[in-house]
Parts: sequence; structure tokens; C-alpha cells
Amino acid sequence: MLIPPVVPGTVGPCPVAPDALKGIVRQQTNPARWNGGGWDAYVAELRAAGVEVAESMATRGIFATDAGGTAYGMPHGVVVARSTAQVAALLKAAQAHRVPVTVRGGGLTTEGESVAYGGVLLDMTGMSRVLHVDADALTVRCEAGIYWHALAEELRRENLDYLSAPLNMTSSVGGTLGVGGIDVNSARLGCSADQAIALRVVTPTGDIVECSDSENAELFQRVILGYGQFGVITEVTLRVRPYTPLRMHYYYYSSLRTAIEDLQLLDRNDASDYSGILTIMDCAVNLLVAFDSDEREAAFKATWEQRLRGYGEFGFALCMAGHYALRPWQIGEALYLLRRKQAVFPEFRRPEFHRDGRMDDRSVVFSRAVWKHWGSRNMVIPDLATSADRFVEAVERGNAVCRKYFRHYTLYCVGIKLRADHAPHYEMSCVPPGAEGWAYGCEFEPMIEGEVYSRDHFQSFKNAIYDIGVDMGASYYRFGGMMKGYIRRVFGDALVDRHLAMKRQADPAMILNRDVIF
Amino acid sequence: MYATTHPRDYPACSGCSLCRLVCPMWRHRRDPRFSPEGIAKARQNGAGVTELADVLDACTLCGACDPVCPEDIALSDMIMDLRRELELPPDLAVLQVGYEQAAARATPAPAGALLLPGTALRADPPLLAQVAVLLGLRSAEDDGADLAVALEIGGDIELQRKRRFLAAIDGRSLVVGDGLLLRALRRWLPGARLQGLGEALGNLPAIRRRITSADFYVVEARAFHADHARLVAHYDALRKDRGCTMNLDLQRIAMPPRASAYPGLRMGPARDDLEQARWLLQGRRPARIVVEDAAERELLRRVTDVPVLHLAELAALNEELHHA
Ligand SMILES: Cc1cc2nc3c(=O)[nH]c(=O)nc-3n(C[C@H](O)[C@H](O)[C@H](O)COP(=O)(O)OP(=O)(O)OC[C@H]3O[C@@H](n4cnc5c(N)ncnc54)[C@H](O)[C@@H]3O)c2cc1C
Ligand code: SF4
Ligand code: SF4
Repeated sequence: MLIPPVVPGTVGPCPVAPDALKGIVRQQTNPARWNGGGWDAYVAELRAAGVEVAESMATRGIFATDAGGTAYGMPHGVVVARSTAQVAALLKAAQAHRVPVTVRGGGLTTEGESVAYGGVLLDMTGMSRVLHVDADALTVRCEAGIYWHALAEELRRENLDYLSAPLNMTSSVGGTLGVGGIDVNSARLGCSADQAIALRVVTPTGDIVECSDSENAELFQRVILGYGQFGVITEVTLRVRPYTPLRMHYYYYSSLRTAIEDLQLLDRNDASDYSGILTIMDCAVNLLVAFDSDEREAAFKATWEQRLRGYGEFGFALCMAGHYALRPWQIGEALYLLRRKQAVFPEFRRPEFHRDGRMDDRSVVFSRAVWKHWGSRNMVIPDLATSADRFVEAVERGNAVCRKYFRHYTLYCVGIKLRADHAPHYEMSCVPPGAEGWAYGCEFEPMIEGEVYSRDHFQSFKNAIYDIGVDMGASYYRFGGMMKGYIRRVFGDALVDRHLAMKRQADPAMILNRDVIF
Repeated sequence: MYATTHPRDYPACSGCSLCRLVCPMWRHRRDPRFSPEGIAKARQNGAGVTELADVLDACTLCGACDPVCPEDIALSDMIMDLRRELELPPDLAVLQVGYEQAAARATPAPAGALLLPGTALRADPPLLAQVAVLLGLRSAEDDGADLAVALEIGGDIELQRKRRFLAAIDGRSLVVGDGLLLRALRRWLPGARLQGLGEALGNLPAIRRRITSADFYVVEARAFHADHARLVAHYDALRKDRGCTMNLDLQRIAMPPRASAYPGLRMGPARDDLEQARWLLQGRRPARIVVEDAAERELLRRVTDVPVLHLAELAALNEELHHA
């Protein structure tokens, strides 16, 4: 299919023709680079206003890719965010000079959404301070570029904690509010974006606006879960809670379907405070269940534990030993399982992160494990989000795709509690259109293990997963830039055109994060 | 993670930013260039030493980035190597020469286990005497201060001088006050029994039992990070045993109270240090602060009203109370 060139500052036609193949090879991975027209005048204007623009290769190179490591692009220059007023000046000038602005928080996207293909890259981590903790009202006001880990660090001094955040210490608050943010307690507390009470936003035209569900609600609804399309978040007020260490329990399954059914049973019945599934192999599935208090743990043990069909670690090891004793030709698989167990399990049990049998810092434990045992310079993590009743089907179909493309892979599944009063936030977001009560997300992560795969291989894999979403009317729980290619198929022309019209009105030169969705 | 066969150098950087979370240089500036990730990425994009001079010069060599890097890149080694290619800070090069001359005049080290105090402790003779008594060690007149400065500023280390120093201390039990030298000695003397000052003093019952749950205990970052996998257990045990809070972050990485480059070598705390120290104490309400590094005691005293004591002074306090 011929994808027509797009005139800078305008939106091209949807590249997915009705007769196209379902997969769109590399369409989003490297969009066209902006041609640089007006850059010098733009930079001169910013410098005159006292804004530092770094143009050296060394600085621009820091942002050449995102955590995915498959999409590469260079900004013309980098600005480190320092204040809301500075961001406003930058956007005003960008509208006037039609210079694309790519906003970056932690840069943990995997489809190149936080990579600049020319224009200016605005690094929000320069604005990353805690501004005010209100321990009585249980809220915190912080700058949007703050890493969740840094926020937790300062909250902990007041014996407080955030509610839910990605299990990844280096995602930023602002970046996460724009995409979702799923934690192992999201089945109970919703996604991170649900925890935001109020924002300070700089609109694409450079106006500074305070917004919340009661003040400038329309802007708030578009910015939350809005993929950075409708404004740059510079400050955030979040709900927080008293800090509690976790009582962790692990159950092991040889069937993914059974584990998912049990996960949903727990979520439906509010039987645990934390729940999630992590697989090592198709036949080795871990359901983690955790609690904030002894009371909740005791209630689970009394009522729900015996209904779970998983084994404890020892029981599962026996089960596996029996399984492989009868199938000696699968010794390679057994050894992989053992190796993986020996490498990964101690990471989750490091004594310095536990006290009296409780896990002190879940995000640290999980994030360290994720980066150490799953991370690499290429991270390909396509995902799917569906309603509860369609989740098993989505996961099984995605799993079959993984099998086709990679020797080993991991699945991570969690529930996301949906708030009826937040329905306007969810429009055209990671929350699947038909979901009620809970949505479920699964990410599919191949183990790279030092192998070299081509970008086409990765891309075909991702497309095959995303195609399942299109086919099932699902969504993508962290959304990728793939949405640009998939958005119309997932949400339909009417909804997308409505949002596109809003975007055009808010961002006449279409400069802000322009390659992410539209 | 990359296959283990890959070189553990800047090309392995995946850009995860975990090193930024712990880097005082980054925390102070909040500028991506001023971070280990920034250096690694800049190198990946062809940046040379000259282009990175400001950043290399700003690093505190606290070593916090080393244990957190999931790609196991020896980040502070990388920075020290690059620093060697820079021009030496003239005021500090003079220091190195001065210490070299002092080492040449030093009397030979006494036999047996030794204390290598380092410049911060040496600057406070009564405290040094107290430490030596507590540890039951004699203090070496030549404690390798010139080598420590050379490591810090990227100065040349003459082979003969290094051999002479190592020959004098090889095969002994050593307690080393300078975290950077301790780290180098672990490499230079793989068979030696080496301890940092904090670990050695903290293991003395007379001191340990004086640490209370109202204390904020400041771990010396360089010695800690240089042997993090082992020492994290030591400090975790201390924390659980005494109930004190510590300057360890949620990743169990030490947040140093200093954020300026060449800490301890330049006169007096810089503004960056005062800001960092205030940030470290923000939201904490200790009754007392206990430090392992004498230089950090002086800095923290400038930003708080609560007593700030060196670990060794806890034992002295014990004795004073006893006499009273
Ligand atoms: C190893 C790994 C593990 C992960 N684990 C999880 C997990 O457990 N749960 C989960 O939910 N996600 C997870 N993710 C995904 C990632 O955490 C989310 O995409 C993340 O929350 C994004 O935050 P960020 O700061 O990195 O945003 P970025 O990647 O920097 O940006 C995301 C989008 O928001 C825009 N943006 C950034 N900052 C702002 C701002 N201040 N204002 C407006 N727009 C902005 C960017 O332009 C971009 O389009 C993981 C990713 C990786 C690589
Ligand atoms: S040694 Fe310390 S200051 Fe230097 S880069 Fe590493 S963490 Fe930052
Ligand atoms: S921790 Fe290591 S891999 Fe991660 S950004 Fe820093 S240097 Fe790179």
C-alpha cells in the first residue's frame, strides 16, 4: 500500500486502507522526520527569552530512542523543562514557528511515542520536585516530571505512599497520567490516571490552565489518558495513602486459563489488595496475591485461599518434577525453567527489601527484577486490554502469537478497576470501549536473551498482537504509537474524527506530540 | 539483560534511567546530561571527553550508580577513566604533590593490622586518636592520601610509588577511612582483609549499642557502594537491630549529604552540598545524627540544630556518661 507523504503541520489520511493487510509494517516505528523549516528562528526566539536549547549531538543523542529501542529519531534540539512559564513560552513559539514538540517524561514508551523525529524535545524530568505533601488530606502536589520512585522516596519520609503506579521506578508521573499506569493493585484502586485530582496544564497554544473534574473539566478529561495530545502537564495533585508493607503470597499453575479464572475470582470478590499474573513459561504461571493488612490476609486465608487451584512453590516443584520425569525429551525446557527460577526468584526475596516477612518496597523489587531479567536495549512489549469476559481469549490468542515468534516469553496480566464517574476520562483511551467494572490487560514480552532479531521481526510480532485487539474490539492497555496505525480500526471514524477536530482546535499547527495518535 | 559476553561499558546502556534516581549530580541539576546515563548515551553518540568535561568534573564519585545499573556497567570506573583524560584541576593537582611529599617523609608503617585514616579523619587528630584506640589499631603515617587524591582527580599514579605503598601494607588487616582508596585497594590487594571505617566501628559493641531508634545514621557512600552486595546486609542488620533510620533510599543506595565534585578536597562545603544535606534531612525528625565520615559531620552541623556525632564519638559519649 502506498502511504502518501504528509505535509508538515497537517494530518495525513489514515494509512490503514480497508483492503490493507492487518499488520502495518513499521508504519509508526519511524515516522517522517520534520524538515527543520523555521528552526533557527524558533531557537533564536527561545534563547532571547532565556530558554536554553541544547543542540549538541551528545545531548540530543540521550533521547535518540525510548525504552523500546526499536524506534530511532533525533530532535533538532533539547529543552529541559524548568518552569510552567518556560514551557508556555516554548509552546507559544512552537505554534508560531510550526515546530514539533515532543514531550518526554521517563521515556518508557516502547513504540517511539517519546522519541522526537525532529523538532524540539521537551524533557520534563527537569521539573521533578515534590511541592507539597498534605498528610491530613492525603494528597501530594508535585511537578509532573517526577519519577514515581522519587515521589515514593519523599512520601515515605511522611510514612505515606502513592496509590498505584507502573512497576517501574523511572516512569514519570506526567507521562503515566497520559497513558494509564497499571499496578498490581489496579484491580482494586484503578489506574494511576484515576488517582489525579488536579493538574496544571500548558495547552498546545501556550496557555496555562488549572484543571480538574470541577474546573476546566473538558481539558482535564482530554489530558488524562490523552497521550500528551491536548497539553503538557507541569504540575499534578495526586491522592496518596498511608504506607503499608505487603504480605505476599505466590501460587503456581500449569494452566494460564485456570490462573486467569482465579485472578478474576479474587478481583470480583475483593479478596486481595494486590493481584497479578506473571508467567515464566506456558506451563509455569505465577499468580501473586498480596495484602496491606493482617486482617485482609486472614480473611483471604479463611475464605478464598482454598478455592484457588494453584500450588505452593514446593507442591508445584514436585508436580513439575513428575511432569518432566515422564517426558525426558523435554529436558531443555525443564532446565530453562530451573535456570529462570534460580535467577529470578531470589530477586523477589532479597532480605534488604523485606522485614518480618513483609515486602517493604514493591515497586523497587519488581522494577529491579524487570530491568535485570527482562530489560535490554530492545524491549518489545505489545499489550492488549479487554473486558473481563473476553480476557482469556485475548491472552490465549496473544500467547499463540508469542509461541510463533520467540522461544521464550513472559506474560504479565492485571485487572484494572474502572470508575463509572471517570467514564469521560476513558474515552478513546487504553480502557477498552465495552468494558464495565473491570478491564484486564496483558502484556506480552519476548525474552531477548542476547539474541539478535531484526526490527521487522519485532514489528511483525507487535502487529500480530495488535491485530488481535482489532479483531476482538479490544484496546491496548498502555497504548503504543501503533495506535496511529490502528486507531480508526479500534475506535471507528466517528469517535476519532471528533477527537481529531478537538485536537485541531486546541493545537492549530498540530505541533504537540504529533506522531503519537493523529 | 544483554548476554554476559558483551563488554560492560557504555555501549550496553539501555537508557533505563535507574542510575539517575540515585545520582546526586543529577538530583542537584535535574539535567539529563549530568547523569551516568547522560554520559553513557553521549558516548554512544560519539561525544568525546572535551565535550563531557563539565559533566565529568561535576561527578562526586559517590559510586551510587554502580550497584543499580541492571546492565552491570562499571559507571564510576568509566567516569574515573574519562577524568584521567581531562586536564587536572590545578588547585587539586597541588594537593596530590603535597601528599606525595608527605608520604615520602613518612616513617614505615608499624607491624600488624593497620588503620589508614584518610585526610578527613586526619584533619581531626583527637577523633583520629579515639578511632585508633577504639579499633585497637595503629595508624599508618603513609595512608595513601596522594593515591586517593590521584584517583579522585584523575591524576597519574606512579608505578613505583604504588608498588612501595602496597608492599608496605600487603598481607595485613586494614581499616581504610577513604572510600575511594578502599575501593581501589579491593582491586589492588584482592587477598587483603579490608574494612571501611563505618563497618569496623559499627561492629564494635560499645558503639553499636549506643545507636538508637531516634538516630539518623549516615552511611559513607563510597565505601558502601564499593562493596554494596555485602554491605547492604551489614547495614540492614544494623537498621533492624538498632531501629535507626538511615540515608539509604528505597533501593538501599546511600544518598550522600554532599553533591559537589571533589568532596572533601576543596575547602568547606559548597552551596550544592548544603542544598543536598538539607534535602536529605527534609521530612525527617531525628534526635541525633550519626556519621561515619568526619567531613560529613561538619557539613551536617551547618544545616541542623540536632547533635551530629561521628560514630567514634558515641563510644566517647558512653565513657563520659560512665564517668559522670
Ligand atoms: C520495563 C518496563 C516496564 C513497564 N511496566 C509498566 C507497568 O508495570 N505498568 C504500566 O502501566 N506501564 C508499564 N510500562 C510502561 C510505562 O511505564 C508507561 O508507558 C509509563 O507510565 C510512561 O511514563 P513515562 O514517564 O516513561 O512517559 P513517556 O514515555 O516519557 O511518555 C509517554 C507519553 O506521554 C507524553 N508525556 C510525557 N510526559 C508528559 C507530560 N508531562 N505532559 C504531557 N504529555 C507527556 C509523551 O509525549 C508520550 O507520548 C513499562 C515500561 C517498561 C519499558
Ligand atoms: S558516581 Fe555518583 S555522582 Fe557520579 S555519576 Fe555515579 S551516582 Fe552520579
Ligand atoms: S542504569 Fe545503566 S543501563 Fe540504565 S541508564 Fe544508567 S547506565 Fe544506562
